Amino acid sequence: MAAMEKNIYHNKALQWGVYAVFFIALAIIPLVQDDAFILNQFATYGVYGMLALSISLCWGFGGILNLGQGIAFGLGAYGMAMTMQMQSQDPDINPIPPFMLNNALEELPFFWEPFWNTSAGIFLALLVPTLFYVIFGGLMFQARVAGPFFAIMTLAILSALATLFIDLQPYTNGVNGISPPGALDLGFVVVDPYSSVSYWTVFVLLLVSTVCAKLLTQSRFGLVVQALKNDSERVRFLGYHVAFYETAVYAVSGLIAALAGCCWAFLTQYVSPAQFDVGFSISMVIWAAIGGRNSLIWAIMGAFMVQGAQSYVGDEFLNSWVLILGLFFILVVRFLPGGFAGLTESLLGALSTGGRRRGGDVPVDVSKAGTEGA
Amino acid sequence: MLDITFASSINALILGLSIASIFLVAALGLTIIYGTAGVINMAHGEFIMLGAYASFTMQNYLGVPFFLCIPLSFLVVAVIGLIIERSLIQYLYNRPLDTLLATWGVSLVLMQGVRLIFGSDPKYIQMPSFMSTNIAIGDVSISLFRVFVFAVAIALIGAVWWLFYRTDFGIKVRAVTQNKEMAASFGINSSRVYTMTFALGAGLAGIAGSLFGVLNIVLPTMGMGYVVEAFLMVVTGGGSLLGTIIASGVTGEAQSIFAFIFNDTFARFLVFILIVIFLRFRPQGLISAGGVRR
Amino acid sequence: MAISRRKFLRNSALAAGAVAAPHVWIPASREAWGASIKKGEPIKVGLLFSLTGGLAVPEEDSTLVMQYAIEEINDNGGIDGSPIEPIIIDAKSDFKVYTEKARELILRDKVLAIFGCYTSASRKAILPIVMQQESLLFYPTCYEGAECTQNTVCTGPLANQHSKDLIPYMVNEFGPRVFFVGSNYVWPKESNKNAKIWLEQAGGELLGEEYVPLGSSEFGPVLNKIRSANPDFIFSTVVGASDIAFHRQFRQSGFSAEKMPIASLTTGEIEVKAMGAENGAGHFLSAPYFMALDNPTNNKFVDSFLSSKYGKNGVTHYNMEETYTSAYVFKYAVEKALKENEPDAVTSKVVRDACAGIEVKADVSPEGLVWIDENNFNTWLVPKIGQCQADGSFKIVKEAPEHVEPDPYSIYPDIGTCTAEGLKTPDGTIRQDVI
Repeated sequence: MAAMEKNIYHNKALQWGVYAVFFIALAIIPLVQDDAFILNQFATYGVYGMLALSISLCWGFGGILNLGQGIAFGLGAYGMAMTMQMQSQDPDINPIPPFMLNNALEELPFFWEPFWNTSAGIFLALLVPTLFYVIFGGLMFQARVAGPFFAIMTLAILSALATLFIDLQPYTNGVNGISPPGALDLGFVVVDPYSSVSYWTVFVLLLVSTVCAKLLTQSRFGLVVQALKNDSERVRFLGYHVAFYETAVYAVSGLIAALAGCCWAFLTQYVSPAQFDVGFSISMVIWAAIGGRNSLIWAIMGAFMVQGAQSYVGDEFLNSWVLILGLFFILVVRFLPGGFAGLTESLLGALSTGGRRRGGDVPVDVSKAGTEGA
Repeated sequence: MLDITFASSINALILGLSIASIFLVAALGLTIIYGTAGVINMAHGEFIMLGAYASFTMQNYLGVPFFLCIPLSFLVVAVIGLIIERSLIQYLYNRPLDTLLATWGVSLVLMQGVRLIFGSDPKYIQMPSFMSTNIAIGDVSISLFRVFVFAVAIALIGAVWWLFYRTDFGIKVRAVTQNKEMAASFGINSSRVYTMTFALGAGLAGIAGSLFGVLNIVLPTMGMGYVVEAFLMVVTGGGSLLGTIIASGVTGEAQSIFAFIFNDTFARFLVFILIVIFLRFRPQGLISAGGVRR
Repeated sequence: MAISRRKFLRNSALAAGAVAAPHVWIPASREAWGASIKKGEPIKVGLLFSLTGGLAVPEEDSTLVMQYAIEEINDNGGIDGSPIEPIIIDAKSDFKVYTEKARELILRDKVLAIFGCYTSASRKAILPIVMQQESLLFYPTCYEGAECTQNTVCTGPLANQHSKDLIPYMVNEFGPRVFFVGSNYVWPKESNKNAKIWLEQAGGELLGEEYVPLGSSEFGPVLNKIRSANPDFIFSTVVGASDIAFHRQFRQSGFSAEKMPIASLTTGEIEVKAMGAENGAGHFLSAPYFMALDNPTNNKFVDSFLSSKYGKNGVTHYNMEETYTSAYVFKYAVEKALKENEPDAVTSKVVRDACAGIEVKADVSPEGLVWIDENNFNTWLVPKIGQCQADGSFKIVKEAPEHVEPDPYSIYPDIGTCTAEGLKTPDGTIRQDVI
């Protein structure tokens, strides 16, 4: 990549500064607000932020558009909900969840057994989706499925999973989903969804995953991944194992989404096949696109902005809200392909260099570059 | 429980053809738009929905007979497609992932716009009463309307083939598909070709809509049920017309046979999984559209 | 509603200004956050239905009829002098919105009760918060039962009430051989379990049982199976858009209602309107309410509702009527609670407990007298069987001789019975919040 530009947007120290400001702002909220609703709501936004972050990582940096991020999110959420459900069961008195009795199951299915143990359950909630991404991603990237084709395949898998979870009613309670009656008990603390405990849990997880993702993008690995997005053929000719890098970045984004799924499950105490809804997965992409897919922090803020607007402004419009969101989204794609991040970059660029733009850590017009390799 | 007789197996195979024709009618417009311009049109389902609403409006308020509603829906939706292409899509041709997103935005707008105009209660398209019967030969039976849909599918394939391989416009389209720059240097206005193709694809979705409005329910959200399957047909087929035809045929039969042996839900799941496995070994699809993909 | 949002913005501005002086107020208990009645202030309730998206078809009607019912109650003096103030939410058919808005209604707006949800999935999504905050959910539609919470009141029929009359009636009229078709989810499967019991009692024979994916519009394979099985009638629990596709393709495939009628638990006035009367004619529906019920209360209800500004969709159907009745259950329960308690002490939980045994008499309830069960808080009602006519209206062909008891665990006696305190298991222990 080119030498350091004059645009202060690309100043790494400053970028870390922005991250710090954002997270400090989030950290202040529970100190000044003890309203259970606000805490829960912002924690939920934090979950959406994690999802947008995961999209930004694989799409903005890896060039892999993923319309099925609900796969990891849903699997993670199911894992966590199963863990919480088993916490409310008693091996002696009522060893199996009520819905299974209604579906004529006499004993707990074998794949529910590990969820008796909370740590094992959470571990599985993260492992299964990640492994799924490794296998599915491996298959697809080995076959050099890329670009829009890959996006459509993720959609297909998402629909297939939703169908499967609905059909396996005795094991998943079908469409009704699982609503564990109690809050998550981690042994040393109970993660009450309406308390600051759950807020801080989500906060820490969002912080950790953001920092890790940021470090990843700045590492050697991240550099190769970004090169892939710009021209995967050239990277291949340079001797890199392209499919490995693609699978890896896809799996990491899946891990983050699975983490978000876990948080979602303890925040709402509910999981259902609606988590595999196509519209939901696409809205994750919308958050990242509006915020700016090429910037992790802006993608997160995109989730906060869109969902916040929906919560607080959406009600004023009732019927026309979706219309407004759709129009706004079209405008962003048409005129601001880099989202708000791109806008900020151009503005800062204009301020600091009189409009001269160079590619760097966060290139502007990646949309174009990304497609050449696709 | 499973009762495999000769008649029921034949019925399943015939039904497979019918399901295939439905898949094909749904995917045809998408194939043309994708095959020519490389645009993944996420609003395709909503074009289908618009076709159904166009038919509903004409039939209900203007008293247009059903068979006339079909070509008129083509025109209405083609014009809407034309407007959308001119005002938005034409700026995004070199950014395929962005067109995918932008058209998703378009689909939200269309869905909600229709809801605001027509309300969210379901509408219904009446079909001529002589159509609501079946053709039965012994124990083998198929509904007349399904035969009609099949005939329309064949007619549409014929029309599209003629348009692409027997007209000047078709030559231009194929030239632009194969090499846009080269075609331009021969004086073909590629932007115009794209516009016309997009309108054509949208119009075909309109026809699909007026047919599906009879089989199904007319609702602002009706298009979403077709769009994922239509995409899979295009992707499996490789973006070419022939590819989509074969993909629809095979998947339609597979869906019908699996549903006959197992059940509908499992059939759907199985078909998805088979497509994923197929694409693992043939990522470019059955028959690649040519210049669009490397 | 707009006011409450603006109030929030002001509050949060205050909060932001108070960085230097952190709040010290910490709620002593859950009860302290709860809603109660303040004298002279309107009684807030939440209407959590979808006005957009796939669920809008039934749920928009629910919102409209609730607004109508609330207006009617307020015009007649409200509840003990206090008007009801509805907070209308568009849940957008989106599970994210259901969960978030349920929290907002309970924690922020402090509504006394939520009227909401059409699908069991959305009900299960909001139940955790409703139960945890001891709030109150009125769930006004049919569902599968097998649930025992201490915070819900249901005014629709349970699986054990619905088909009890329908199956024997159909077996008598058309013959014993039946084919079950349903959407692939929990309610149809549970309903079919009940139906099988009635079928066995009636001496019927089950030829096949098929489930199609929710929202599917392809009924070709199922109709082929029905053709080979050749039953005397079909028992359908197909819902929503699929139901319309099912009836249309049924007729298009050459089946006829005279030879093989569909006995449905869902195909009401609104579905028939959407599929075209010619596709609905001749089929049967079991429901506690039909638009064509001929009694003075219903005639008045239909006339004044359809001529009001909420009657734009042109029909009334069982789901709406159950929603309408739930508003009156709420009104009577609050009045009863106010007789026994100070207004401040009338919390959601108190209202819920007061619902036990509440009657909505025939001069208010369009379907005739109904009352809330004192143990499981579902509704005693009279299921009726209607046959769809050529004009899309229903003719009542049979009415149950007496009220049918709701029993959420009727086919699971081993699990227990639902009492007001919780699920009583066979060994005598009480378990709360069983969902």
